[in-house]
Amino acid sequence: MESESILPDWASKPCIMGIDEAGRGPVLGPMVYGCLYCARSYEKTLSTLKFADSKTLKEEKREELFEKLKANELIGWAVDVIDPRELSAKMLKKIKINLNEISHDSASGLVTRVLNMGVLLTDVYVDTVGDPEKYRIKLSERFPSIKFVVAKKADSLYPVVSGASIVAKVTRDRALRDWVLDETAENMTRNFGSGYPGDPETKSWLEKHQHSVFGFPSLVRFSWGTCTSYSKNMVEVVWESDKTEEDGSSSSSGKRQLKLSSFGVTTSKRKSEEIESSGKSRCKFFQARKLEQLANF
Amino acid sequence: MGLDGNSKAGITGTINQKKSETEVPNLTGKVHLLPCCIKYDGPSAVSHYFKPKPTGVEVEEMKVEEAHFRGRKLQGATLAIPNGYSGFVIGKKSLGKRKSSDMSEQNSNTWEITAKFENITYWNHDSLPSKVDAFVRSLHWLSVAEALHKPAAAEDLASASIALEKKR
Repeated sequence: MESESILPDWASKPCIMGIDEAGRGPVLGPMVYGCLYCARSYEKTLSTLKFADSKTLKEEKREELFEKLKANELIGWAVDVIDPRELSAKMLKKIKINLNEISHDSASGLVTRVLNMGVLLTDVYVDTVGDPEKYRIKLSERFPSIKFVVAKKADSLYPVVSGASIVAKVTRDRALRDWVLDETAENMTRNFGSGYPGDPETKSWLEKHQHSVFGFPSLVRFSWGTCTSYSKNMVEVVWESDKTEEDGSSSSSGKRQLKLSSFGVTTSKRKSEEIESSGKSRCKFFQARKLEQLANF
Repeated sequence: MGLDGNSKAGITGTINQKKSETEVPNLTGKVHLLPCCIKYDGPSAVSHYFKPKPTGVEVEEMKVEEAHFRGRKLQGATLAIPNGYSGFVIGKKSLGKRKSSDMSEQNSNTWEITAKFENITYWNHDSLPSKVDAFVRSLHWLSVAEALHKPAAAEDLASASIALEKKR
């Protein structure tokens, strides 16, 4: 989603952009990256529009401001909505991608998108994820023509980032409000609450929607630590991929091994259980096809 | 039909095919092979939670499907059970119903068909389905077995001996 596709005249003059995220902490729903951009010459006017850090505003006020900025032809915006299924899948891949990486890639993706639209970005302000200096270097290497300012609390320091935070937050809230659950089991409700692990409404929703075999509906980020506390109520699932990694860990670094074994989402008791047929000690034809001879069943 | 296993390995069992094939449920399109072990044996609301979707992508003549299980992304493909074969779900006959005289000889290694299927969807975690996947390759055994057990025809023997001659 983004503002109108016809490139406004001001976009060919030097522009500034702010990038911020919403929904990084919640255990469910999408994470949204938003950006807002305008001509550098418009920066002063922008600061009179009373975009404040979205967290300090009430929901109705945010909605109102979002509608205002959408109607403002001197402002452009775009969002990247990262589906919770994508978050879980990336963080539980064989080679895990952590949330910081996903965040960095999303922000970079927004910069690329706006550049490709033909907007002349010269200064980009980013609310940091992880170490600000490392993040700034990473972004500057990817986009050498742009000057990046990466800061903590950028959303309250720079109006252009405050604007981006409103774009992101409103999009995330709407996405969750309109979320259509993929799962079709009976008695499913949509009283997710805010999605933050501490929210009593979210807690009670998780409690009610856990499933012994499937875990949770795919709205939930399975890679979140919050989910681990429910695993005792669930059937154990052992993954081939985890096993392969553990088997191969003797050759990889100890650090990596530690990281993997501390990852408690799947199971704590992997050991040497056979979870699939192996064809071990048979001829190569069978080994390659994992065809085992069963003597008892 | 009786199914005689490899007696050397001590496998002897009988599969009772009395129930005509139309009587048992047809699970075609519903049999999934997951790249994990779910330590549970029993019914579950699979179709409410496990929602494979076509991706539109095709690799090595296989239509790639996508699904999620326990937060992991699975990519899979549906393979037809090869011609001349069928897939069956078999279960041991419940002991309660049987008379003690029935179970004497074969130690009740009698099975019956509870469902049948004509395809299997197998899933990979994080990698596209491919012809080199062990499961796809395991089906090779069917043609190899057929060739191994087929009575040798006279011309096969002749061509084999010619080949042997040449080697010398």
